Amino acid sequence: MLNNDHIDFIIKDLHKRGLLLDNLKDEIIDHVCSAVEERMERGIRFVDAYEEVIESFGSTAGLQETQKQSAMLQNFFIVAFRNLKKQAFYTSINVAGLAVGVASCLIIMLYVLNELSYDKHFKDHERVYRVENEIKFGDNHLVMAVTPGPLSETLQKDFPEVEAAARFWNRKNRIFRRTDESFKEPNTVMADSSLFKVLDMPFIVGDPKTALKEPHTMVISRKAAEKYFPGESALNQTLLDNNNDSWKITGIFEDLSENTHFELDFILSLITADYNRDGNWLSSNFHTYIKLKKGADPKALEAKFPKMVMTYVGPQAKAALGPDFTMEKFTAAGNKIVFTLIPLADIHLHSDRMAEIGTNSNIAYVYLFGAIAIFILVIACINFMNLSTARSSNRAKEVGIRKVMGSFRSHLIRQFLTESIILSMISFVIAVVIAWICVPMFNEMAVKNLFLPFSSPIFWLLIIAAALVTGILAGLYPSFFLSAFRPAAVLKGNVALGTRSGIIRGALVVFQFWISIVLIVGTIAVNRQLSYIQTKKIGFNKDQVIVVKDPYALKDQLQSFKEEVEKDSRIKSGTVSGFLPVDDSYRSDNTYWPAGKSPTQDNMISTQSWDVDHDYVKTLGMKIVEGRDFSRAFLTDSSAVILNQAAIKAFGYTTDPIGKKIETYNDQSLKTYARYTIVGVVEDFHFESLRETIGPLALFIRSSRGSISFRFEGKNTNEVISMIEQHWKKLGPGVPFDYTFLDQDFGKMYSAEQRLGDIFTVFAVLAIIIACLGLFALTAFTAEQRTKEIGIRKVMGASVSGIVVLLSKEFGKLILIAFVLATPVAWFAIDKWLESYTYRTEIGIWVYLIAGTAAFSIAWLTMSYQSIKAALMNPIKSLRSE
Amino acid sequence: MHSPELLKGTLQTIVLKVLKDHGKMYGYEITQRVKELSEGRILLTEGALYPTLHKLEAEGLLKTEVVNIGKRIRKYYVLTAPGKAIAKDRVTEFMDFINTMTTVLQVKLD
Repeated sequence: MLNNDHIDFIIKDLHKRGLLLDNLKDEIIDHVCSAVEERMERGIRFVDAYEEVIESFGSTAGLQETQKQSAMLQNFFIVAFRNLKKQAFYTSINVAGLAVGVASCLIIMLYVLNELSYDKHFKDHERVYRVENEIKFGDNHLVMAVTPGPLSETLQKDFPEVEAAARFWNRKNRIFRRTDESFKEPNTVMADSSLFKVLDMPFIVGDPKTALKEPHTMVISRKAAEKYFPGESALNQTLLDNNNDSWKITGIFEDLSENTHFELDFILSLITADYNRDGNWLSSNFHTYIKLKKGADPKALEAKFPKMVMTYVGPQAKAALGPDFTMEKFTAAGNKIVFTLIPLADIHLHSDRMAEIGTNSNIAYVYLFGAIAIFILVIACINFMNLSTARSSNRAKEVGIRKVMGSFRSHLIRQFLTESIILSMISFVIAVVIAWICVPMFNEMAVKNLFLPFSSPIFWLLIIAAALVTGILAGLYPSFFLSAFRPAAVLKGNVALGTRSGIIRGALVVFQFWISIVLIVGTIAVNRQLSYIQTKKIGFNKDQVIVVKDPYALKDQLQSFKEEVEKDSRIKSGTVSGFLPVDDSYRSDNTYWPAGKSPTQDNMISTQSWDVDHDYVKTLGMKIVEGRDFSRAFLTDSSAVILNQAAIKAFGYTTDPIGKKIETYNDQSLKTYARYTIVGVVEDFHFESLRETIGPLALFIRSSRGSISFRFEGKNTNEVISMIEQHWKKLGPGVPFDYTFLDQDFGKMYSAEQRLGDIFTVFAVLAIIIACLGLFALTAFTAEQRTKEIGIRKVMGASVSGIVVLLSKEFGKLILIAFVLATPVAWFAIDKWLESYTYRTEIGIWVYLIAGTAAFSIAWLTMSYQSIKAALMNPIKSLRSE
Repeated sequence: MHSPELLKGTLQTIVLKVLKDHGKMYGYEITQRVKELSEGRILLTEGALYPTLHKLEAEGLLKTEVVNIGKRIRKYYVLTAPGKAIAKDRVTEFMDFINTMTTVLQVKLD
């Protein structure tokens, strides 16, 4: 029998021979003991028995081979998890950075996909086009989404490749009621009955073929039907509008999904309107949509449009402009009337014309956000690569040992890749959770209704595939880099970390901060332009003005409503007018020329003509620079006009304009002229987005019902609102009361910029946080590596501050390089963006300096924590142990 | 002594079958048992046995019980339920193989 001394000997000897592996060790010891015991029972001496047994294992080499064979079968995963757990600090930084990066990327992807999906859900959308109209005439250049009324019919009649055509007209708010309660319906439009041949809109009830054929019929959305007729059938019921016209519901269509540029809830039959029959080719008021026959070429159709212009527009233009007008002369003078087609699915991202249905998005934003998403992901991946390679010196010994133990290079690559894929998988899981939490916030910011498609298997497949790809990409470089170590060199201590990895790591840090600095500069620039717009002297006073919506609903009570409200002491003045300077979407152009001259191409000025009352200039706080405001004392003011400075310049009345006259056509027939006397000049004020220059504008005293606004005083806004509401309810019972403030409406004109600014800020902050996370870990690592050096320096008398500077210097240099590289790119990008604004802020050199300093100080703060910690360390501790 | 080349493919089958017939066994016991059954003609090397045992354990065909005996620790291997089923399959499979081999090699078993 073996005694304890024997067993101790065996254990010790086996250890000496390199038996290390935990789960194999005990087994082998037992095996050897049993075998020795058996031999001793046969009378062999212990020493000889042991010798024999070890030989049967194939001596030391055989023992190690056995061990290796068993070790290789171990799961890569277990090793990977142990490694990750051992380096919890770096692991968590890696995971956090990657998760935030992926979550941002995911949200932006949702946004981009949503933008790209617009109008693609309509059946046959590839064959549906909108016809657009561009007119250049003298100084007027109109790029419009709308077209003349007769176009639709002509297209169907003259061009066989057009399968169907339909028009939308008179898009505006309408107030509907079933019994007493009225609702304002903003998504109301009139349309031809052929609409449903062009756009495939599934009907729930009713027949799309006949639905809009009769006057005073309409089709409504499911949502609208449920609002007015909850729990009952809406078909063949009627609703009354604010003119007491009744509309019979002849069909209900399924609600349109949100990713469409149409805004449709109530579609009224266009045949109801008399204007329907107007054959005027010279005014553009209709959105025209056509569907081509299968296989028809839109380019070929476009090529036929000039002839159509010649045939139909020519004669009417001649009638308006005199007998010597010919299309040839017209075009020779550089003028043009051009019709073009735009595919339905392109409208949302590629069209920014006058009279769009809603505010469209811009493909540039899609590219921009896509680029930001990729940037953030790249920054996060760089962190991963940097940390792994940086830590390679620590793992170099591990690699050396593994290789000595018989690992192949492929095993090591697989091991490191497994680690990075596990990390990436964990990050993606966390990223999905973060994205799920953040999507509602993003929706609020971007005014979208996005959601993560959890129920879609494709989504999960994509996530898993992306996690794998990210893991492999991020792990590829470190794994090849690490597995290439030569064991002899590594174990001797001279690790081949050399300058190569240092340069690459440095380049990656530079790249990260390059992106961060560009984003910071971009953020500052966008926000500066925004605040410039909001604080710029706009030529009128937008504060303390309340705008009551839908005044037309009060009908003839409107004037008495105004007078009643004005009696209140808190109201300074009120005005009823056709337009407010914040109406971005609806404009009213008319053509004028200096009185006494006959209208020609050269002297006709396209001018905004707004119907206002006597209190308009006063209420909105505009400034009369010459002449006088309209006054009730002058009865002749009905034929008076106030022009803005831009109009004065356009008419060439720069010296002493007061008393001069302008003329325009009196009616549609273009035969008689109306003449107006200039009584005053109003200082230029901005009446559309600051992207545009201020154009000519004329104010006329005419009654209108477009809007009513009041300038009020005092702090208690709520009391003023409820006072106005009381009067409203008294005079217009049942009509919904709706109001806004002028400054809010003004702000809305820039909501796209505001959104851009917000989103930019958020993602720039994210980018720099992720970049700093990486930097934080890198400095921690460097400090750890240089612990001994720091210890020796301190012993030799280096100060704490000296050591902090020493540690920060290396990365400080990199950030400086990043700044130098980022500045020109940022400058170029911002310059391009600002070009779209006529009125723009200066982005001075200090903006770049601020961005650079910000990046540097954030990075320095990140580093200093680690540097100071290292510098304060007691040298005794850092020098003590090997 | 049979050549190790011949044994290579049958090692798992041998281990599974021996464990099936004898219940729980430890590594050395298995080598001894096989030696006994083959009348000394099959000697399992440790270098082949332990990796095989570990692989079968990782695949869930075997489970282990650890017993302390004095200063040593002894690890017993037992078949799991799937292990038992596989053991049976492997033996049948091997019988088929022998039958095929007899026809291929044109020999007769006595």
